[in-house]
Amino acid sequence: MNRSPLPPQLIRLVLLTVLIIVTYGIARVVLTPLTFGQYGHYRGAALQEAAARKPVYAGAKACDECHDDTLALVAKDRHKGIACESCHGPNRPHVRNPDIVPIKLTDQHCLRCHLSDPARPVHLRQIQPQDHFPGDKCVECHVAHQPNKSK
Amino acid sequence: MNASCSRRRWLGLLSGGLGWLAALPVARAAKTAVKNLFTSAGAPKDYDPTKHHWLMCIDVDRCIGCGTCVEACKAENRVPGASSYFRTWVERYLIRKPRAGMTELRGEVTVDSPNGGRNGFPPTLVPREEILKGFFVPKLCNLCAHSPCSQACPVGATFDTPDGVVLVDPEYCIGCGFCIQACPYGCRFMHPETHTAEKCTLCYHRITRGLQPACVEVCPTQSRIFGDMKNLPEKAPLREFIRTNRVFTLKPHLGTEPRVLYANIDKEVR
Repeated sequence: MNRSPLPPQLIRLVLLTVLIIVTYGIARVVLTPLTFGQYGHYRGAALQEAAARKPVYAGAKACDECHDDTLALVAKDRHKGIACESCHGPNRPHVRNPDIVPIKLTDQHCLRCHLSDPARPVHLRQIQPQDHFPGDKCVECHVAHQPNKSK
Repeated sequence: MNASCSRRRWLGLLSGGLGWLAALPVARAAKTAVKNLFTSAGAPKDYDPTKHHWLMCIDVDRCIGCGTCVEACKAENRVPGASSYFRTWVERYLIRKPRAGMTELRGEVTVDSPNGGRNGFPPTLVPREEILKGFFVPKLCNLCAHSPCSQACPVGATFDTPDGVVLVDPEYCIGCGFCIQACPYGCRFMHPETHTAEKCTLCYHRITRGLQPACVEVCPTQSRIFGDMKNLPEKAPLREFIRTNRVFTLKPHLGTEPRVLYANIDKEVR
């Protein structure tokens, strides 16, 4: 019966080596995510997962669909270029359901930019609230959408 | 048990194994298709990362330190509210006049960023008459071409996308924090709930939908200029910015090759 050209210990060794290689191959195929290496040495699906979140800020285009008259007013005056959501806050819920009203603006919103600060550029209009008509609200004199116009 | 029987059994086992091997890729493709149906349902379908290259530039002269960008970033990316978690923040630099007898043209530098500038900046304690000059510097991930964070990551969870963003794969991140130590710009933090590293993604969910990042969207002075280098129109603000400004990067000596460009920064800015 011992007609095999190779000694049995060598056959066992070859079989073991093949088994190890096959096991490694199977483990590699099973454990590597399918999108791994799609763009580089990482999971390509991670990009889609990062992109899957829903935006919170709707963007100026969404505001323009209903409030185009107000946007046109702002575009003519010194506050041009400022996005609606800079002051009015993230408003995607309001875009989807107009009954959800945006936050109410206070003097603090004006002072975010217009409070006097030595690090601010001089061309920006700045005030000290205790010296500039203390006790009055900003909107009693100023029109936020048209800063050049006064009441 | 004789030899022929044993051989038949072996051959049978081998062919069975080969059959399984052939079936594996099919099974995996099906599994991934089902998984994709749930995970990336919200991702924009027509976005190809190899056809874009995003770039953020900062015009320091235009920043007025209102902190609206910090507020917007926190809201857009659900960054934890505490004052140690920021994807972007604003620093106030105040350079004093040199003291009498000093030979330098400029004195000490005071840098502060109360709550990252999120609520604006309270009046400074430095007396006005002592100040030589002041300015605000918005900071964010510098999107390094040779990012130390991705080199430090032991599991390859941080990577450079083809569209020029450095992202973290939260499924791979083990929360060791090496990348947070490695970032020379301090742009990363450990999320207190997920215990994975987080950083600026250039609002990846917005830019893939054709929107601007939240900080760019709300900046009232267009201090942040953003664009797609591969699809840049002739009159893009980004072109005008590069043409009319001397631009710098932060800490160029570290060889990280940041892609975020700063215009008009002073040598005190790090």
